[in-house]
Amino acid sequence: MAEITLDQDPGARPLGQSAFEPIHTQQQAQGLSRPSLSYWQDAWIRLKANRRAIISLWIVVALLAFTLIGPLLWRIDPAAQDVDQVSQSPFASRDALLVAPLEPWDLRALALAPPVTDLTLAEPATTQSVRLHWAQLPGVTGYRIYRNIFPADPDRALGLPLGEYLTPDRVTFEDRLDLKTQTYYYTVIGVTPQGLDRSRLQSLEVTPVRAITRAEAQRKGLLAEGDDVPLGTTLKLKRHPLGTDYLGRDMLARLMEGARVSLFIGICAPLLFVAFGVLYGAIAGFAGGVTDQIMMRVADFVVALPFLLFMILFKIAFGIGPGESGIMPMLIALVLLSWPATARLVRGQILQIREEGYISAAQLLGARTNYLVLRHMIPNTMGVILVTLTFAVPSAIFTEAFLSFIGMGVAPPTPSWGSMSNEGIKTMLSHPHELIFPALFISVTVLAFNLLGDGLRDALDARMRSRE
Amino acid sequence: MGRYVIKRLIQGVITVWFIATATFWAMHQVPGDPLSNEKAVTPEIRANLEARYGLDQPPLTQYGIYLKNLLRGDFGISFTQQNREVNDIIREHFPVSATLGILAILFAASGGVLWGALTALYRNRLPDVIIMFLVILFISVPSFVIAALTQLLLVKTNDVLGFSILPVAGWGTFTHMIAPALVLGLGTMAYLTRLMRSSMLEVVNTDYVRTAKAKGLPAARIFTKHQLRNAVLPVITVLGPAIAAITTGGFVVELIFAIPGLGRYFVEAVQQLDYTVIMGTTVFYGAFLVFMVIVVDLVYGFIDPRVRVS
Amino acid sequence: MPAATDRKPQPPLLDVRDLHVEFDTYGGVVKAVRGASFSVEAGQTLAIVGESGCGKSVTVQSIMGLIPMPPGRITRGTATLRGEHILGQLEAGGRSIRGDQIGMIFQDPMTSLNPTMTIGDQIAETLIVHRGQTKADATRRAIELLDLARIPEAASRARQYPFEFSGGMLQRAMIATAIACEPDLLIADEPTTALDVTIQAQVLDLMNDLKRETGMAIILITHDLGVVARMADDVVVMYAGQVVEHGKVDNLFYHSAHPYTLGLRAAMPTNTRVEQGVADRLQPIDGSPPDLFAPPRGCGYCARCPYAVEVCLDRPPPVTTLEPGHEARCWLHDERAPAAARDRAPLFYAAEPTA
Repeated sequence: MAEITLDQDPGARPLGQSAFEPIHTQQQAQGLSRPSLSYWQDAWIRLKANRRAIISLWIVVALLAFTLIGPLLWRIDPAAQDVDQVSQSPFASRDALLVAPLEPWDLRALALAPPVTDLTLAEPATTQSVRLHWAQLPGVTGYRIYRNIFPADPDRALGLPLGEYLTPDRVTFEDRLDLKTQTYYYTVIGVTPQGLDRSRLQSLEVTPVRAITRAEAQRKGLLAEGDDVPLGTTLKLKRHPLGTDYLGRDMLARLMEGARVSLFIGICAPLLFVAFGVLYGAIAGFAGGVTDQIMMRVADFVVALPFLLFMILFKIAFGIGPGESGIMPMLIALVLLSWPATARLVRGQILQIREEGYISAAQLLGARTNYLVLRHMIPNTMGVILVTLTFAVPSAIFTEAFLSFIGMGVAPPTPSWGSMSNEGIKTMLSHPHELIFPALFISVTVLAFNLLGDGLRDALDARMRSRE
Repeated sequence: MGRYVIKRLIQGVITVWFIATATFWAMHQVPGDPLSNEKAVTPEIRANLEARYGLDQPPLTQYGIYLKNLLRGDFGISFTQQNREVNDIIREHFPVSATLGILAILFAASGGVLWGALTALYRNRLPDVIIMFLVILFISVPSFVIAALTQLLLVKTNDVLGFSILPVAGWGTFTHMIAPALVLGLGTMAYLTRLMRSSMLEVVNTDYVRTAKAKGLPAARIFTKHQLRNAVLPVITVLGPAIAAITTGGFVVELIFAIPGLGRYFVEAVQQLDYTVIMGTTVFYGAFLVFMVIVVDLVYGFIDPRVRVS
Repeated sequence: MPAATDRKPQPPLLDVRDLHVEFDTYGGVVKAVRGASFSVEAGQTLAIVGESGCGKSVTVQSIMGLIPMPPGRITRGTATLRGEHILGQLEAGGRSIRGDQIGMIFQDPMTSLNPTMTIGDQIAETLIVHRGQTKADATRRAIELLDLARIPEAASRARQYPFEFSGGMLQRAMIATAIACEPDLLIADEPTTALDVTIQAQVLDLMNDLKRETGMAIILITHDLGVVARMADDVVVMYAGQVVEHGKVDNLFYHSAHPYTLGLRAAMPTNTRVEQGVADRLQPIDGSPPDLFAPPRGCGYCARCPYAVEVCLDRPPPVTTLEPGHEARCWLHDERAPAAARDRAPLFYAAEPTA
């Protein structure tokens, strides 16, 4: 008796006494080795295993909290303007120097002082005023004074023309034009009969210090009424954690307010159009025949409409009355145009499920239509619907942002992330934070919903489940 | 095949008619008389328009006049620009948009197929992870943000380099087209990359690829002859919607990059409530997109023998 | 069986020894093949029989290098083609193994051909790659092959796409592709499972005819004992990743030596059942195959086996040779098994167990 050597030699160990006693195999028959899970339990376990999806879920929760709870904690009026801090980046200094109210410049005192050789500051520069003093240039008939936010360069534009003197002996200039706490480059150029004498240009870099008077500080609540703080003290202005926009409105408060609009549209619109689509598709799928044909033909036509063009058109058609934000028209337009995709999907699912063997089996066992719908149809389409819903959120948010960006979305002053981006883009070069924050919120929201949708699709995909 | 084309074209014409009707209906819902809105309309224009469109007639007659004009290919006269025909506007500005759009779709489609195939080949390894991260990023960032940031980047690099590698805005030479076309195509490319990747992964596991392996074909041949061609099919089917996305995405990109395309013109018309221009460009765009979908379907039929023969 | 005489001096055409294959999955490591050994002689047909999931497809696919790695891996064992090791190799004796020396056809012809390539091109491709033929020559040969596979109007059919073919036609086209390079071995993985019964017979006849004409060997994977009876010279019965019985087709049918083979036979509709003393009704095998995530310590079939004894539970059974070329993996054939235990099972035993 030849043995092919396989595995270990089982004959090596001695066999026990009862080795060849028969066993009752029927009881030994293997049961299912793993516990049976319902569809949703299984999906939830899979979703939990997907780290990206779970992080996204938390981001979505955080965004909802930001929108709903945020305004309770951060009680700044999103419409209030802080004119001292306009287009303030979140990292900018909030210091303000307490100064006396501005008095006219006493030029006689300057005449007594020693003459200057170049462009200088006659007094420390504040946001109240920048007082410039320069040396008289020989052979000129006058001066031109410019202010720029880039370093002076004879070959480039000199910036904002502030003033022009027609006499050579006026050598002082006071700038009080909308001064901010940023670096300015002042340039003084002599004017000769031949024109501007660009070869002899005096330039000065000035960064004004923010100044505030006692009265102003008291009005803004930075100083109490009777507070006796000496001039020259540095006060702290109001805090704006994410800076302010071009009108001095608090970015954080506006982002919270904007989140309400963006998320309202982003979540309500998909809920509404998916619900409508499900109803429509289910009716078409169940009715079948001519009804189904007609209903689907209608859906086909709506699909053929170019989406964003008609969003714009509908927005115009609904019109925005004075004082309205335009959220509702956008919502209605979104629902009107977006439902067919879901309707088609659900109809397809219903038609498919109707043909499945388990439906026939249930029917043979006497199941009623209600039971079929509740027990078989809905649970088997819920997954697809849920995934559709999740993916509909980012596209709705995109649509809102796009429309608001081209000025066809919510009407100012109501902020939305899209309209804030639109405003931010204008000052992108000098104050990028006004664009970056709303853009970041849009992107993170869309990203979170996309990843969550991916996770849900993977978790609910029955095909993948059986493939394992 | 010929009958199929004719059938599709007839369907397309019906769809365009529906779009035109919906446009007409939507514009008629605008509160108030379009001519009496705050937009300054000179009496000549007003009289001219009233006569031309029968604005004093009942809506149904207006609709008839509108359809008749459309059939003649006449989109009317601009409300805000005296004596400027909408046809002229389209003729002048659409080629710009089309050039930009074609570049963008070429970039998006070739990039999507290339990156998608690459990520599928390197599944779950570093190149895949990096590319898919970027893909998710570009899908999630709105096109206007990408456009703005690209401009910002161009300004900064041009500043640092001291000369201009690419113009920041404007239109004219080919260099003007590069940045906006890339920006415009990026989102679609990301979407197509994702689609191509999953399609490619599906194809890799198909029975016929297993057969190709069992036939002892070299990997390169399996890739080109068996995987790529089959994996590209689903990408082609979404090119219709992709063209639509790029067309409308063009509005924003043209606006930001100061490109004199029809998209920017449309947005401006919308902001100024220039009714005829809005209606004309909407119908024009609608017809264009319907036509593009038909073209894409025909191309698909040419590539997929299952559709071609039947 | 002409191969019997010249068997000794040279190694068998294909010889598989102790093959182990595992797959990493979400749920853990699946031990899909746990020691498969068999050999195929030139010009012979070997049938591999077993129910779904028993590892028969994985066995041949790992020989062909078709299992994806990862997640799959071959942990132990060898496979030799004319004495040359081929596991993980693309070539043997300077020729490509796949497509050239071994042809393979699959279960579902509808999905096994590239939908976007003409049938002719798919056949010609093999010739272009392995024989270096020109496109024109290869196409001409492809038409001949289609003709050989009894496809009418081969020339015009070669220009058609798979979706224009019926299932049976496609399987013939698959066979034409597989035999394009005149392989020594054709592996057919359930070639008729997806086909109508009448078409099945035609395809099987075609395979038999081609085998006779070309002298190639065939490995036929099936779960249909009727197909086995019709086609096979030798049979390997697999269960839970192991070969449980291996022998000539007559041995398997008339001298079944493993309870599982017996169970399969009882579950097979045949008009000779009564003569064989098998019960009159079809007898299903109760229970289901073991979980290959954690294979049982003892015999894999133990839980379903009506003749199992205590030792089957925790010790893997030895392989016993009952006659030359007829082996079974069952404790009841062990020399230590008492007569009482054996008598309960209607198994075939070798004339006299020797010590």
